[in-house]
Amino acid sequence: MAAATMTTTLQVAVGLCCAAVAWMPEAAAEPTLSFDGFGTVGVVHSNEDRADFVSNVFAPDGAGHTRDLSPEVDSRLGLQLGSEFTPRLSGIVQVVVEQRYDDTYKPTLEWANIRFDATPRLTLRAGRMVLPIFLASEYRKVSFANPWVRPPPEVYQTVPATNFDGIAASYRRRLGSYDNHLQLVYGGKDTSTPGGGEIETRNGFTIANTIERGAGTLFASYSRTHITADGFAPLFDAFRSFGPEGEAIANRYDADDTPLNILSAGARYDPGDWFAMGEFALRESRTFIADFRGWYVTGGYRLGAVTPYLTLARVWVASNTSDPGLSNPEAQGFNAALNDLLGSAARQKSIALGARWDFAPSMALKLQLDYLDLDSDSSGVLVNPQPGFRRGGSATLVSLALDFVF
Amino acid sequence: MKSLAVAGFGLLLSAATTASAADVVVVVSSDSPVDSLSRAELADAYLGRVVRLPSGEPLLPLDQAESSAAYERFYENYLGRTPAQIKAHWSRLIFTGRGRPPPSLRDVETLADRIAATPNAIGYMDAERVGDGLRVVQLE
Repeated sequence: MAAATMTTTLQVAVGLCCAAVAWMPEAAAEPTLSFDGFGTVGVVHSNEDRADFVSNVFAPDGAGHTRDLSPEVDSRLGLQLGSEFTPRLSGIVQVVVEQRYDDTYKPTLEWANIRFDATPRLTLRAGRMVLPIFLASEYRKVSFANPWVRPPPEVYQTVPATNFDGIAASYRRRLGSYDNHLQLVYGGKDTSTPGGGEIETRNGFTIANTIERGAGTLFASYSRTHITADGFAPLFDAFRSFGPEGEAIANRYDADDTPLNILSAGARYDPGDWFAMGEFALRESRTFIADFRGWYVTGGYRLGAVTPYLTLARVWVASNTSDPGLSNPEAQGFNAALNDLLGSAARQKSIALGARWDFAPSMALKLQLDYLDLDSDSSGVLVNPQPGFRRGGSATLVSLALDFVF
Repeated sequence: MKSLAVAGFGLLLSAATTASAADVVVVVSSDSPVDSLSRAELADAYLGRVVRLPSGEPLLPLDQAESSAAYERFYENYLGRTPAQIKAHWSRLIFTGRGRPPPSLRDVETLADRIAATPNAIGYMDAERVGDGLRVVQLE
């Protein structure tokens, strides 16, 4: 891989650094800087014009109702600056430009962390970094690194947060022909939502393990965090004002520092000519946030530079998607709001057929057809439903994306 | 007569395979402690998984230019992967800060000199380019 095309490595050897090196016995002669980027230019069309398809559940609008042909769903630019201060101490900053919760494109800081290689096997990091919940978490935004136009929403939308602020330890160990990578992370994250609300996660702890051997990869993770959704506090306060019966409802559904658990497992096998991968995810909390179960399987076959692929996916909800609410007639509005919230959880099956064409060394063109079969009385992963939208129907998406890395 | 024809065909076939496999060979410095490597170890080294020598030192993989014929043949013959797959593989690691592709040398002469001078390095080149100070590695 030509360093010149993939990255621009600048050798920085200023006097200041040399002075610092003088009293750091382990430091290399010159710290290095590396600059890398990735991006996607994509458009999506949906045949359902009374709701929007989005790739990020926190996006306010997308393809379908808002735009017939939306460039907002998949387009993105990421820039990454890395620096090796010494052979054991390095830092990384990644900035991503994509559609935000407020429909702007202000650059957001995806990662900013300092990494210390305590031993060749043990690495410690602090700052903002990737949340290793899924098999492809670390590069879910680097579409070039993935077979699909976007990770299957049935699994990846169950945890829309991609990063967190905190600390992490990573331990890599080779056992015979097995390469094992264990990660422990601790931290939290504030996520803004389109309605102007904020979702806070605190005291989040994730343990993730990846085993690689030859062409095979196995991944599993468990995550436990405490979630607070302030935006819904007024609704639950209203329920509480109705006395014990209302308090019971509020306590059942309010997210106020409430534990949320996520369990996921995945596997990939990629011997070269073909590949297959799949993941399962389970999310659970005693809040209005649905208890999701989701899986997908993807397989593809490489015919020279063209890779046709097929994905099957399913997401369903194990918790209740409606609640009788309070019998008091004055509470009807609150009951309706609660049921709207519970009923909006994504439940659907989907099939995606696509092809990736690696037409140039650092670029790929992808065409993907998605057929979403929404469960009865569900909007599936569609958001922003308009008057006349029928739950439980179907939607067909056509997506074209150009992915690149530099 | 028939069995002779089959034998002849088999000979032809094996000669053809040997020739294509001999195109690009894996080399180390003649001072290298490495005599032989398994294909899995070679793949690991070139995919960013650290392979340690008996001394504990990591094996240092070196690449030819991405645009070179040797690059393409090496990855296709020895790792069973196309340059596009290799690029996708590294973009998974680069954007996590977990690793960078092997250093890519300007031309095969620079590569040969670098390997000859670096006992823990490994590289690949056309068989006829293997010169002084280099040794071909047996792949198990």
